[in-house]
Amino acid sequence: MRLHSLTLRDFRGVKDRTVRLPALGTTVVVGDNEVGKSSLVEAFGLIFDLPDDSKSTRIRDIQPVGQDVGPEVTVELSLGSKELTYTKSWLKNRSTELTVVDFDGRRMSWTGREAHNEAERLFHQHVDPVLWQTLMVSQGQSLVLPTPADAEPLITAVTAESGTPVDGASMPLVTAVEHEYLRYWTRGGRATGDFARSEKAVVAAELTAAQALKAMEEVQQDIRRAERLALDLDDVANRLTDHLTSVEELRERKKATDEILLRRDSVKSRAETARARLENHTRTRVERERLLDEVERFTKTDAELIERRTDAETVAKTAADMVHAAEAALAEVVELKDARRTDVQEAERRVSELMDRAELDRLLGQQTELVDVRARIAAAGTILDRIKVDDALVAALEDAHAAVVEARAALAAGVPEVSVRRLGAEPVELSGTGLDAGSGGVPAELGFDESAELLVSGELVVGVPGQVEVTVRAGGEAATLRSRVDDAVRREKDLLKKAGVKDVAAARELLRKADTASAELHEARRTERSLTAGGDPGERIAVLTARLGPDEPEELSDQQAAVEGVPGQMSLFEEFVSPHDTLFDDFELPVSEPDDLTGAQRALDEARDGLAEAERLLRDAEFAAAQARKAADEDRSEAQNARARAEIAAERLAAAVEALEVARGVLDDEAVAAVEAEATSEVEAVLEELTGVQEQVDAAGADQVAGELADALAVAGRLQGERDTLRDALRTTEGRLEQSGRDGLATRRDVAELELAAVRSEHDSLRRRAEAARRVFETLSRHRSEAQTKYSEPLQSRIESLGRSVYGPSFRVWLDDDLAVSERELDGTRLPVEALSTGAQEQLAIITRLAISHLVSTGEHSVPVIFDDALGWSDKARLRDMGALLGRAGDHGQVIILTCMPDRYEYVPKATFIKLDA
Amino acid sequence: MGVGVCWVGRLSVAQVSVLTAMEESITFLHSSDWQLGMMRRFLGPDGQARWGQARLDAVARIGDVATSTGAAFVVVTGDVFEHNQVERQTILRACEALKRIPVPVVLLPGNHDALEPGSLWTSAQWQAHAPEHVTVLTDTTPLEIMPGVEIVGAPWRSRRPLSDPAAPGYADLKPVAGTTRILLAHGQLTSLSGGMSDVPTIDQAALEAAVADGRLQYVGLGDRHSTTQVTERIWFSGTQEVTSPEEDDPGNVLKVTVGGGEIEVEPVRVGAWHMVDHRAELFDEESLQGLEDWFAELPEKERTYVRLAGDGSLALPLLSRLDAMIDAQGEVFASVERWAKFWTVRPAPDAADLDALQLSGPARAAMEELRQALAAGDEGAGAALSLMHRLARDAG
Repeated sequence: MRLHSLTLRDFRGVKDRTVRLPALGTTVVVGDNEVGKSSLVEAFGLIFDLPDDSKSTRIRDIQPVGQDVGPEVTVELSLGSKELTYTKSWLKNRSTELTVVDFDGRRMSWTGREAHNEAERLFHQHVDPVLWQTLMVSQGQSLVLPTPADAEPLITAVTAESGTPVDGASMPLVTAVEHEYLRYWTRGGRATGDFARSEKAVVAAELTAAQALKAMEEVQQDIRRAERLALDLDDVANRLTDHLTSVEELRERKKATDEILLRRDSVKSRAETARARLENHTRTRVERERLLDEVERFTKTDAELIERRTDAETVAKTAADMVHAAEAALAEVVELKDARRTDVQEAERRVSELMDRAELDRLLGQQTELVDVRARIAAAGTILDRIKVDDALVAALEDAHAAVVEARAALAAGVPEVSVRRLGAEPVELSGTGLDAGSGGVPAELGFDESAELLVSGELVVGVPGQVEVTVRAGGEAATLRSRVDDAVRREKDLLKKAGVKDVAAARELLRKADTASAELHEARRTERSLTAGGDPGERIAVLTARLGPDEPEELSDQQAAVEGVPGQMSLFEEFVSPHDTLFDDFELPVSEPDDLTGAQRALDEARDGLAEAERLLRDAEFAAAQARKAADEDRSEAQNARARAEIAAERLAAAVEALEVARGVLDDEAVAAVEAEATSEVEAVLEELTGVQEQVDAAGADQVAGELADALAVAGRLQGERDTLRDALRTTEGRLEQSGRDGLATRRDVAELELAAVRSEHDSLRRRAEAARRVFETLSRHRSEAQTKYSEPLQSRIESLGRSVYGPSFRVWLDDDLAVSERELDGTRLPVEALSTGAQEQLAIITRLAISHLVSTGEHSVPVIFDDALGWSDKARLRDMGALLGRAGDHGQVIILTCMPDRYEYVPKATFIKLDA
Repeated sequence: MGVGVCWVGRLSVAQVSVLTAMEESITFLHSSDWQLGMMRRFLGPDGQARWGQARLDAVARIGDVATSTGAAFVVVTGDVFEHNQVERQTILRACEALKRIPVPVVLLPGNHDALEPGSLWTSAQWQAHAPEHVTVLTDTTPLEIMPGVEIVGAPWRSRRPLSDPAAPGYADLKPVAGTTRILLAHGQLTSLSGGMSDVPTIDQAALEAAVADGRLQYVGLGDRHSTTQVTERIWFSGTQEVTSPEEDDPGNVLKVTVGGGEIEVEPVRVGAWHMVDHRAELFDEESLQGLEDWFAELPEKERTYVRLAGDGSLALPLLSRLDAMIDAQGEVFASVERWAKFWTVRPAPDAADLDALQLSGPARAAMEELRQALAAGDEGAGAALSLMHRLARDAG
């Protein structure tokens, strides 16, 4: 198709405009916004799409606003070998006219609907809609990459160029194969739909069938178990029957032997009775013998015990006497020990008292010394309080005095020394300032021959009234020297006043006195501390004074009297202990109470020795008394025992004699022996009879029959138990089988297997079909992919060829199954198109369209390439290259560019520029 | 395991002459192998339901035959039920069918419904619903079904008998003058089993000896589903309704008239179903048409199961037609099944088939690849090729 001209009348804002387009080459239609560039494209679409009586809103939209006019479009174009002039007006003055001039000059015209239909038919006959849509780029669509796989002219072109057969006719088959494949498989190759469901159904049916089969296997096992149990039960029942027969036979035998056993029991019973009677008589005889023996034995024992009792009583009496003597001696020694304890206590009291008195004397001396020391402390303190001089003050005084001397020496050296002597009678008056007369003052007047040595640091006026007045004035330095002397003197005076002395020597003396007082004070305080180290002596003195009391001589007298009382007691003791004289040989009592501590201490020691000795004597006496008591107790006890035993022996003897008499009263000694012999004979006779009966029992085996019967009954019981167990097990198994019968397990199994077979069959069928579908799909897809690769090559190489004129030799592209560019490589970097810049994407889209146009240009189905407002994202360098490319594209077909920015296309060579005025 | 599979050749049923002077004769019906509750996977759920009902209907028709023939009683020689553990519904429906038989019925437990522990015959379900005129032989004690007629039987007490399963029924018997004695037994005959049976078989010679010495006047056997005459007085009645295409003349009940030293046995058809095998050679359109004609001629299609064996190779259009034909017949018949073991029909695509589709480019190349794979023995390629052919044809 080639567009030759396009005329718009009353179309949107265009009143009447005709644009003529070259059939070949690149045409740039330039116009400002709103002048109707895009309307040209729109008008071309409308004239072929909508009949003149269309009520479409698209028609309403193109009617000029506010004008009751009908939009009209006329297009002149070539379709194959036909030249068409096609005019259509809508709304008002609706009309359609088509004139077609064939290649041989034949002209045909149509009007109205026929014209529309014929135009539409011719258009669709020559223009592939996909290609047309691909190459006509509306405003704002320049970025969209074309996907031209369904454009038949392109496919035809690339197929022809690649030599690969056209596949277009197979598309319905491809769709059908894919549809068939997707019935069974997902695109990812997983089973789906009925096929997937049948897989699950098979698994479920297998599970159900396995469960049903297992249930039936358990039934079969139960049947076999029941059969086995039934056989075992029969066997046990037969054995039980046989055994019960044996039991009955044994019962019969037992009945027959029971009579013999009864007779044996009777003889046994009589034998027992006779044996018991014999034992009774034997016991009587033994008892009689025992009584006789007892009487004899007790008589002898009684005599022995009476003799032993008499001896014991004698010994006990002697022991009691000895105890009495020992206890008397013990009482004496106790008294002695108490007296000696009193002595010790008295001696201890005396020692304590003397120690207190010595302590009191010491404390009194200490208190006197303390009073003296405290007086010394007070005196020294008074002295120290009065003396205000210390080492620093004396040092300061000495320094001040030295300063006075030094200042005066300087004054003397630096000021005039005026010596004035009164020689005559006339009074000589001295006055002035800054005068220094040494230690004395400056006399106001000199007596005769009295002189004055004056240092003049100020002004000295020596006058003789009425005669002369001499004024001596010191020089410049004199005043300063004078002032220094005055300052030194004043400081010295201040210090002396502070020290309270008249001069330095006095101060030194006071300082010496203060040191002496301070040493005294220190010494006195040290002494005081040592005296009060053990506490205030006064308090201790008060305690001791209170303890000793005022009446010491009388107390001592009492003590003495107490001591003197001891000899009486001693004599008493001596009298008591006379049998033990040797024990008291070294014992002496203190005669008098010593006055000194040493003597008292010695007396105490002696008293303690006396007490210790007394305590030793006491322990010995206590031991002797205890021994005597113990011996006496033992002897007394022995005597009591002897008495008791003698009494018991007498009683037992009496009782034995009485018992013997009683027994003899019943049966005398001879009769006892006779009845025993008789009983013995009776026993022997019965035992002989029992032996005979037992021989009969043994011969009949009567004793074994009962045992055999018991054993047989036990075996029968066991067999019955075994039979019952088997019967129960059989019933249980039969119960299960009955239940399985009620449950119809075999039917369930058959149904489950039937269902399994059905779903398996269904699944096998589906699987065969699914596998077939997959095989077809994969085989076809593989062949299509290979073919696709082949016929994408011409387009790919064409795009790369065009692109290299813009980007250079490293430019490469890859196409996908839709023949759309998917990736671009530049300078070794390969990127998906989505990753490219907007400008690069637009350039790639334009290059691809130009390549498509180039490929289809030789066929009768070629169409113009139309760009409405493109290259908005390219820089100047790229605009230059793209412009060159667009220009070259015109060599192969009709390229139409609509723009309001003509400078974007100034680099398009050989372009025809058409300017649309407003 | 059932032993009713006919794995030997067809046995001809002897023509029985009609006795003209049978004195004090008795007529009864002999049937066996009802195997109620049996299922056949090849029938599908619907076919299975209808076939199961047909087996019960055939039992009911035995009652009709009893009425029409004046039979005094009916004996069933084993395998009345498919299992001892059939569902309750099967038992109840069997009882209802038995009630349709107006004369006494004597049932013999067979290997499928042996009198083993948990047997259906001792179950509360059976005993609660069994009709009063039905007797189950549970031991070998002779049953005087009517004066002068004794039925002796050898019920199976286990599925694994240790010896001739018929012998206990007649071993200790002596001939009794004036008494017609009928033996009911179940199992394969030694003479017919070919030594292949895995359970003890029935000694045919011993049976014939018992018949010959007058101990038995008729021996009714079960287990073989085909109606089979062994001797004049020894018969397999066969199943009342066909269970397998291998069976030969199933679906009969035997009308037996015995007495006065004579016997007359007549098979009476009660079955309504057919199970047939068919083998077809398929190699061109004509052979395909032959198969279609064969299907068309079969009667009672809705009660017929066809097991189809096929051999040969067909061009893709013919193969598609064959598939369509079998699918269509499967809707008409009770079931049509390709006999997998004997189904070797292969697609045979040629260049003309592909040309006819007018395919080009990758589609043509793909189909050619599949065709070559099939030619090289790739079975999967055949199915794929057929599918692609059909899709291309439909898409075109």
